Amino acid sequence: MFKKLIEESTGKSPWLFHINAGSCNGCDIELVSVLTPRYDAERLGFKLSGTPRHADIVVVTGPVTQQSLNRVLRTIEQVPEPRCIVTMGSCPQSGNVFRGSYAIAGPLSKYVHVDVDVAGCTPKPEAVIDGLVKATEILREKRRAMK
Amino acid sequence: MSMLSYQHFPIYAIMLYFLGAFLIVLFGKNKIARHCLALLSVTGSLALLVSLVPRVMTGGEIITYWMGNRAYSGGYAIGIALEVDALSLFFALLVAVAVFVSGVYSIRYMEHDDNIPQYYTLFLMLAGGVMGLVLSGDLFNMFIMVEILTFAAVALTAFRNTARGALEAAFKYLVVGSIGSTCILAGTIMLYAQVHTLNFAQLSGLIPGHIHGATRVAFALLFVGFSTKAFLVPFHPLAADAHGAAPASVSVLISGVLTKSGIYGIIRLVYFLFQTMNLRPIQFMLVFVGSVSMFVCVTMALAQHDFKRLLAFHSISQIGYVLTAVGLSTALGISAGLYHAMNHTIFKGLLFLAAGAVLHETGTTDLDRLGGLSKRMPHTTVLFLIGAASISGIPPFNGFASKWLIYQAAYLRAVETGNIGYLLVTIIALVTSTLTLASFVKVSQSVFFGRLPDEFKDVKEVPFGMRLAMSLFAILCVLTGLLPELVTKVLTGPAAQAVLNPVRYIAAARGIEVPAETAALPQAVGAWSPINWLLLLGISLFAITLVALLGKYDRVSENASGEKIPAKYDLFFSGEKSVYSQVGGGDLFWGFKHNWRHYFSFMHDLHSGVVNDYALWAVVALALAIAFLQIVL
Amino acid sequence: MFTPAFFTTALLYLGYILIFPGFLFCFVVGLLLCGIDRKAVARMQKRVGPPILQPFYDFFKLCGKETIVPAAASRTTFMLAPLVGLAALVVIQLFIPVFNFRVFRNLPEVADMIVILYLLLIPAVSVMLGGAATGSPYAGIGLSREMVTVLAVELPLVMVLLSVAKAVGNELGTGLVFSLSGVVDYQAAHGSLIGHVSMIPAALAMLLIIPGETGNHPFDAAEAETEICEGLLAEYSGAPLGIYKLSHAVKMLTLTSLFVALFLGGIGTGVEHLVAAIGLTGGVAAALSLILQVLILVLLCIVLTLVTISFVHAVTARLKIEQLFKYYWTVVTGLALISLVLAWYGF
Repeated sequence: MFKKLIEESTGKSPWLFHINAGSCNGCDIELVSVLTPRYDAERLGFKLSGTPRHADIVVVTGPVTQQSLNRVLRTIEQVPEPRCIVTMGSCPQSGNVFRGSYAIAGPLSKYVHVDVDVAGCTPKPEAVIDGLVKATEILREKRRAMK
Repeated sequence: MSMLSYQHFPIYAIMLYFLGAFLIVLFGKNKIARHCLALLSVTGSLALLVSLVPRVMTGGEIITYWMGNRAYSGGYAIGIALEVDALSLFFALLVAVAVFVSGVYSIRYMEHDDNIPQYYTLFLMLAGGVMGLVLSGDLFNMFIMVEILTFAAVALTAFRNTARGALEAAFKYLVVGSIGSTCILAGTIMLYAQVHTLNFAQLSGLIPGHIHGATRVAFALLFVGFSTKAFLVPFHPLAADAHGAAPASVSVLISGVLTKSGIYGIIRLVYFLFQTMNLRPIQFMLVFVGSVSMFVCVTMALAQHDFKRLLAFHSISQIGYVLTAVGLSTALGISAGLYHAMNHTIFKGLLFLAAGAVLHETGTTDLDRLGGLSKRMPHTTVLFLIGAASISGIPPFNGFASKWLIYQAAYLRAVETGNIGYLLVTIIALVTSTLTLASFVKVSQSVFFGRLPDEFKDVKEVPFGMRLAMSLFAILCVLTGLLPELVTKVLTGPAAQAVLNPVRYIAAARGIEVPAETAALPQAVGAWSPINWLLLLGISLFAITLVALLGKYDRVSENASGEKIPAKYDLFFSGEKSVYSQVGGGDLFWGFKHNWRHYFSFMHDLHSGVVNDYALWAVVALALAIAFLQIVL
Repeated sequence: MFTPAFFTTALLYLGYILIFPGFLFCFVVGLLLCGIDRKAVARMQKRVGPPILQPFYDFFKLCGKETIVPAAASRTTFMLAPLVGLAALVVIQLFIPVFNFRVFRNLPEVADMIVILYLLLIPAVSVMLGGAATGSPYAGIGLSREMVTVLAVELPLVMVLLSVAKAVGNELGTGLVFSLSGVVDYQAAHGSLIGHVSMIPAALAMLLIIPGETGNHPFDAAEAETEICEGLLAEYSGAPLGIYKLSHAVKMLTLTSLFVALFLGGIGTGVEHLVAAIGLTGGVAAALSLILQVLILVLLCIVLTLVTISFVHAVTARLKIEQLFKYYWTVVTGLALISLVLAWYGF
């Protein structure tokens, strides 16, 4: 029963950690708007946390530049299990307009397993919330798989 | 009187130290002989004094001992007297315990130094000096002992004279300490000129008839003289320098024993010699000096960058508590003050020993350079935390037990007298306690927790002998914190009664037995039973831990010890590979300091470090004390 | 010694510690207060807000997460500090009377107000040592701010407690009353202290002290998640973090119920008469009046949380640490001082 309780709670209390991997700031602002009164993701339990140690879902924005690559990977490593990685916007998925640049190391999926991709430049808040909710489902699955 | 009867014990307790000192000069070249002699004298002295506890503390007996049996005769006390009442024995026990533990600690701590025989000689001279001072029954002997202890302390301060600042510290101490000693001598002479005797009992019988200008000056001289020994404000900079330079085992003696001799002197002065003087202005003086010492030194400590200097300032801050409580002149206040004096010896001893352990292993006490030692020195860390919790007044350790009594005594006094000044003192005492906590949190963070610098990677735990000594103090910290009623009943209560009934002391010198008054022990108004609290905490901690463990609380991922740390176990450093970075000890509480910046810069300018200034302060303090007493008395 | 009576008493006290007013009560009501606070702030900001039970979800989720002990941390302190802090808080809750109900009714009181003042430092110290033990530089800054916050709050809190002790002592003619049960007993007989002119500034000061003690907005410089990565908790994860979050919630309960005991102690004490009026007697009546008193306490705690924590949270922005210190040592201390002076001269 305790295990079930934890599993349920894991789906209801996803804390976010946001990494900017060279983003143009568009997605970053859009992520914040998700938490504003209009969309209020907190009603689903979402909360921005200040450190990866507290996070369940890592939201990566930006095309993963050469400069940021190691830092992104290191930070993702520091998030305790179970964790989900969500890419927000087209940049971390494909490189978007920066694709082919010498300064770009992305897409992110080359380095880590990405659970949810939210496409768009920038994605609408509704889409972001949808992606995050999908991520919580995956999070719950991952928790179930844990011993 | 056989050689083994208990009346001889006080003189034996003193002689054992001095004998040990001289024998070590003779046979100290041999390591084993040296250690045996030192341990023998410190243990023997402690055992002798402990054996007197039932008689003097609970039995209420006052032991009077005349050297060479030249007893009180013909109306004048000519011989040299030792007079041991509960107060003397209380302080003597503190001395003996501190000296014993510090002696045990010294064996391993000093093993790498040169001139160890000389160290032990001076160490035992210092101990004997203080022991003689607190057991002595006349003023001139007290002065002799003050001289012995001052010079032993000066020499010990400069013992590691290769260290930076040691000679300078010793010199400062020498100058101001001599001013203090001179004050005591001058005061003694002035009294002698008035009443032609030096015996305490007789003095306190005769002084009431001779209160006039000269006696008041004598009082001021003696008061200032003993204040320098207790390092009260404005003599506090000396203590910081001396503690910073002296070996830790000596710091234990300076803070735990030497400052107590000053407090003892002041108590004898105020409550015995000048018992019939108008007490109110003197109370004001004691409480004022005490509160100022309490507050100024705790703020000075917050600004320190060096572990031992920080401890030194706290030492005086705690002495301020003692003096304030003693100055309240109520049974509760005096017993609380003595209780705190005892606790101060214990926890400050523990803290200095912990600082010594850090110095022994890392070679530095600089708060800005240290960090993370808890991984390398776990036992020292636990012992330090016990000491830190005690001094910061965290329940259930001993510092809290006594401070709690002091707050109550001060507030009760405020309510009884309707004097709003005592209310202020209560608030200062309460806040000072939190400020003390702040600086010990700083030390914990900067020395034992936080990040381990690479240069101290291979630091080891200190040898067993040193940990043993620290553990002794730590056990005492816990015991005296958990059993406040027992301590009050056996130790501080009788001593406080002795302070408040000087008549018995005076009569005992003439061989007259005055029956002990069965006055009630001081009662606290509030409620605090540490054992019950600890029981509750233990049960709930056990329950919570059990629940937590059942919920797999201990299922943690941990890095296997290796050179290369995987990213997962590295600290979060905003994505970077973490490097050593620590908020410097001195800057830790800038949110506080920013608001007090004018005060701190004023204090900074005031503490110039120039010995001329400090000597000037001593003279000004003396002048103020004389002027104050002449005007108000 | 080991008679049946002994075992019954032991079981009773174990019940006090584990269920009411100990661990279980603290857990449920504490997290509930936290949830209500979050919901209320959301409503004040025209948001829907998280469900009331959100802190429970958070807590259980954290229990199911991996706990990472950083390589630089000292493991024992890292794991033990949260537990000690929580245990200390639960024990404090035992000392706070719930109107007529006391855990130590038949025993001598264990701790008075001044002791509670210092017991409240233990959770703060535990969080500071735990944070320091991680070795994180963010924790270093967090520790500095947390300690300054404690320093800032301590002065007005001391003055509030001293003025209450004096005011009740004045009324009873005994000089001083340090015992918390004594203060509540007085209020049960003579009405709540909040009705006294001299105690109103102290009550106001205490209202401002509550968010500072718990480290809530706007006095959360120590945990500022946007600038110093949650400060002391930067390296905590999993169950130990959950315990810290729980401690924070319990601290809200402790402080609000301390406020109730200090200033509103008279409100819940009339219920026995109410229960007696509807014709109940004996054990049923005692149980019912206890339940009613607990309900009143919880309601008052909720109201206080809404007023002191949620409302203040919703209308203010975070203070810088030196502003925080200055605010407490001037405005709040000033209020407490007015009370102290009024109580001193017997108003």
